[in-house]
Amino acid sequence: MAAALIGGEAPPRTTRRRRWLPWLLLRLGGVVFVLWAVATLTFFAIRLIPGDPAEAILGGPGSQASAEALAQARADYGLDQPLILQYLRFLGRLVMGDLGRSYALHDSVLSVIGQNLGGTLLLAIMSLVVASLIALGLAAWSTRGGRIAAGISSVLEIVAAAVPHFWLAISLILLFSSILGWLPPVSVPGPVGLVLPVLTLALPLSGFLGQVMRESMLDAMASPFVLSARARGESENEVFWLHALRHAAIPAIGLAGWAFGALISGAVVVETIFARPGIGRSLLSAVQQRDVPLVVGVVIVVALAYMLVTTLTDLADRLIDPRLRRADR
Amino acid sequence: MKRIITPLIAIASIALLVAGCSSAAPAGSSTPVSGGTLVYATGDAEPTCLDPHVGGNYPQALVATQYLESLVSKNKKGDIIPWLATKWSEAKDGLSWDFTLRDNVKFTDGTALTANAVAANVAHLQNPATASSTGYLALAKVTGVTSVDEHTARITLSSPDSSLLDSFSQTWLAIESPTALKRSQDVNCESPVGTGPFIVKKWDRQQSVTLVRNNDYNSPPADAAHKGKAYLSSIEWRFLPDSASRYAALQAGTVDVIDNVQPDTIVAAKNSKGIQQIDAPRPGASNRIELNSSIAPFDDERVREAFIRSANVNDAVKSLFFGTAKRSYSALSSVEALGVSEPKLFGYDQKAAAQLLDEAGWTQKDANGYRVKDGKTLELDFPVSTNQSIPAEQSLFEQLQATTKEAGFKVNLHPLDLSSWYAALGKNQYNLVSAPYTKVGPDVLNILFNSAGTKPAPSGYFANHAQVKDPALDALLVKAGQVSDPNERASLYKKAQGIVLGGYYILPLYDQQNHYLLRSDVKGLRALPTVSTPTLYDTWLQH
Amino acid sequence: MRRIRPIEVFSVVVIALLVVAALAPSVLAPGDPLAIHPLQSFRAPSFAHLFGTDESGRDIYTRVIHGTGASLLIGLAATAIGVILAMIFGLLAGLGPRWLDFGTTRFLEVLFAFPGLLFALLFIVIYGPGVVTSTIAVGLATAPGYARIIRSQVLVVRRAPYLEAAMVLGRGSTNRVIHHLLPNVAGSLFVLVTLGIGQSIVWASSLSYLGLGAVPPAAEWGAMLSAGRTYITSFWWMTFFPGLFIVLSAVVTTLLGRSLQQRLRSS
Repeated sequence: MAAALIGGEAPPRTTRRRRWLPWLLLRLGGVVFVLWAVATLTFFAIRLIPGDPAEAILGGPGSQASAEALAQARADYGLDQPLILQYLRFLGRLVMGDLGRSYALHDSVLSVIGQNLGGTLLLAIMSLVVASLIALGLAAWSTRGGRIAAGISSVLEIVAAAVPHFWLAISLILLFSSILGWLPPVSVPGPVGLVLPVLTLALPLSGFLGQVMRESMLDAMASPFVLSARARGESENEVFWLHALRHAAIPAIGLAGWAFGALISGAVVVETIFARPGIGRSLLSAVQQRDVPLVVGVVIVVALAYMLVTTLTDLADRLIDPRLRRADR
Repeated sequence: MKRIITPLIAIASIALLVAGCSSAAPAGSSTPVSGGTLVYATGDAEPTCLDPHVGGNYPQALVATQYLESLVSKNKKGDIIPWLATKWSEAKDGLSWDFTLRDNVKFTDGTALTANAVAANVAHLQNPATASSTGYLALAKVTGVTSVDEHTARITLSSPDSSLLDSFSQTWLAIESPTALKRSQDVNCESPVGTGPFIVKKWDRQQSVTLVRNNDYNSPPADAAHKGKAYLSSIEWRFLPDSASRYAALQAGTVDVIDNVQPDTIVAAKNSKGIQQIDAPRPGASNRIELNSSIAPFDDERVREAFIRSANVNDAVKSLFFGTAKRSYSALSSVEALGVSEPKLFGYDQKAAAQLLDEAGWTQKDANGYRVKDGKTLELDFPVSTNQSIPAEQSLFEQLQATTKEAGFKVNLHPLDLSSWYAALGKNQYNLVSAPYTKVGPDVLNILFNSAGTKPAPSGYFANHAQVKDPALDALLVKAGQVSDPNERASLYKKAQGIVLGGYYILPLYDQQNHYLLRSDVKGLRALPTVSTPTLYDTWLQH
Repeated sequence: MRRIRPIEVFSVVVIALLVVAALAPSVLAPGDPLAIHPLQSFRAPSFAHLFGTDESGRDIYTRVIHGTGASLLIGLAATAIGVILAMIFGLLAGLGPRWLDFGTTRFLEVLFAFPGLLFALLFIVIYGPGVVTSTIAVGLATAPGYARIIRSQVLVVRRAPYLEAAMVLGRGSTNRVIHHLLPNVAGSLFVLVTLGIGQSIVWASSLSYLGLGAVPPAAEWGAMLSAGRTYITSFWWMTFFPGLFIVLSAVVTTLLGRSLQQRLRSS
């Protein structure tokens, strides 16, 4: 990577605003395509799962539903029609913004997601912020704090990245609730209930982000443009905050989309342990209950959120690293 | 750098603030105090419907006990006692029962409790659209309900039913407001209306159900400790699936009562002051492993006995349950008065097992020590429901896997989620299975071992997992379900259990475990002697 | 040549021990990892049982050592599946013509828009839980992540002026890849792979926590960790030692990868 940055001093900015519109349109087309593909894949994949969705409608497996009740449920939810017809109707409703009704919860998928999305988003965003701050702190400390700092922070990052979520969650509960008695072990309303879940998600993530950030910070600090900046008489602080940080930010921002996905996956575990309402937990129980509409709905919403995050990060990339913009023919 | 660390400091200072807020419980008197909110954390699954008529499983019964009431209840001795019904009588021919109802009881929506309400509830349970399973099965012999007068309901039967009172004591057959039942099922699932001491106020999915006190309450069961409205002003019924964080929440005082307590936690709680324990084994069947007698190799009774003889259950129970569970040798729970226990049949004896396998023709052994016959390995598929079997029980199966291996059995454990587990049963792809079944009274035997129970419902579900098809047993069970003479009934059920145990169809393990832990400032909590669900009516908080 | 640092010696020694444990576990732990002794369950670490015993009285040290092979294999195989898929997609997207980049990127985005755990969850619910399915599931679930990083690295490197210079000099695209791109991309890839091994084990253990991982009583770190989770308040050693080995193996592979990377760079 060092070699990649040789002569990597930012070229003069060429502000050609007319490129933004086609870029945005292309992007929008991409979003629609991805949503369609994700919905389609999930719709068909979930039908490969053994188990009858009609049972899910009637209170789950083992409910001893009668043949008439099963037939009625299939008719009510259109499950008795050919698969391709079901799919087309599903797409038609999707275009209208209707995600259908949850089999198990007997409520519209949109309202179930609406009740749960906020909690998960709050958790994910807080975790991302906390993780970035920890990572940035560690990376900065290790770059500028000498060899011992570098050693310690690097080990901390590596260890943090290697800790399983549920193990960390239970350890944190043991430490902060059972032993120290500082924090509630399960979710309670208000910011206090967020501390442990956020830490559980943020610590492993910060290990990842920290490693990537430091890698590029070290590269940047050793690169010719930093040398030339120093030669120009810029202070060490200026060099660090203006140049090194920006270079550290590029790969880290590139990871933001991935981090978002990792946070949603982690949320499944964290929401279960801390008993927080959220779409991670909804998703897990929906898969287990074969609640097709809810699974598809959650996947679509998560995909949409993900697309939003990546679009924003690409945007940030273009702002921070003009090389990408220049090369974007 | 300082700026970067600031948020961490902020978090730490929040933590310190919280630490300052935790309070110590002062010593109080033993006179019940009114008021306060109790937080109950359940480890059972969140119900998909709060009306236990729909489906009918244990998580529903747990929460519904707080807001719904039954016609009758049971006292600690196991006798039927009055609740919503004050009197009942069976007709001479056994084909009808008259229930006299309390005359001043109102549902929390203002509807009066009348004979018509009972009729509406039975109709609701028997309506296929309700999709009731537990209640529907229990009412199999009921043909209808007529009102003799406003407060006397006559239940008519197709044949005599000696378990009718047991059935009506269960929460799954609780009496709901007929007005409320007329609403759509979705609405009724969210806010069922009963006569109970609490009222469902709000259901935040995946989080909690909020219950508030019914201030007009006047219908406690005959064995309640007080009369009038409940002490608690509200209950927060939380869903907390992880057992470690559930116990941590109890220790921290975030919650007051927890259920589904793991054996090691019960032991830990015994040594920690400030926490009390309630042990209330569930009625109905004992926890047992069922041996599928319909397919090879368990179609041979000798192989079934060999498996049971080579399974070292006692050591496993001792190591995994720390004395919190007692070994069972019965098909029925220890709370069932008519249960028969046969320790001799289930003695651990590898030699006997080896000899039985030799007799059955499984004489060869392969390189791994597994028995072989006609080129086939002695393999057993064991689908394990991770939703129904607690971790200690899953470990117990692993230990049985190891001890039966000594005799030459190759047990394949398949941990499955509930849907896949039912699918495996439905396809008859199992040799061993363990499924709990809670029901009040010995009639559970008829559900579990009558050959009728081998025929799957359209959804694939069936209850007779051992697939016992014995006409003599069927006849005994049907007759026992009809006779009203207690001695004759007891002797019939005894004979029936003799066939089940002697045929090596099941390997009994222990009672269905049902432990509750509560903080010591929670007073007056007890489990109903019917299905062992906790009732919070007499409960108060000492502050 | 830089001199050898103590931390590198440490990593190499631990990795060597792990490899021995994976290939010939009986050298380090002669016992039977599946042998149960119900009456010696839940023993705390002692000289007789270095890491204590589990709920069935099995020796945890023996199980951890005998579980090394399976656990590392899950990590290696899942990472291999993920990285190989990612290389194909990442290079196609980064190096191919614009339409191919567009197509591959969209496809990757579709895969990536699935939360990784859902991908694994669906896969396992369809094909049943077990070591093989959870390995494949983790590999598939992590592939888009690697691919995206590889693509962005390729893009950054490809658009670097020195490569444009190489193009002006008329070197063919295969040459370009070999001489300039791969060494550069390989550096960050190495960090990802070394991290990925530990990460895949961690993922697999999360699946086990949700009841979808390795089937008991197999001695596998993730499965041991999840079996011990219910006892975490009473018997810490049941989760501590398998957890320690997961973290340790992830840490040493990362450290080794790091120093190799630095050596490559400085030579």
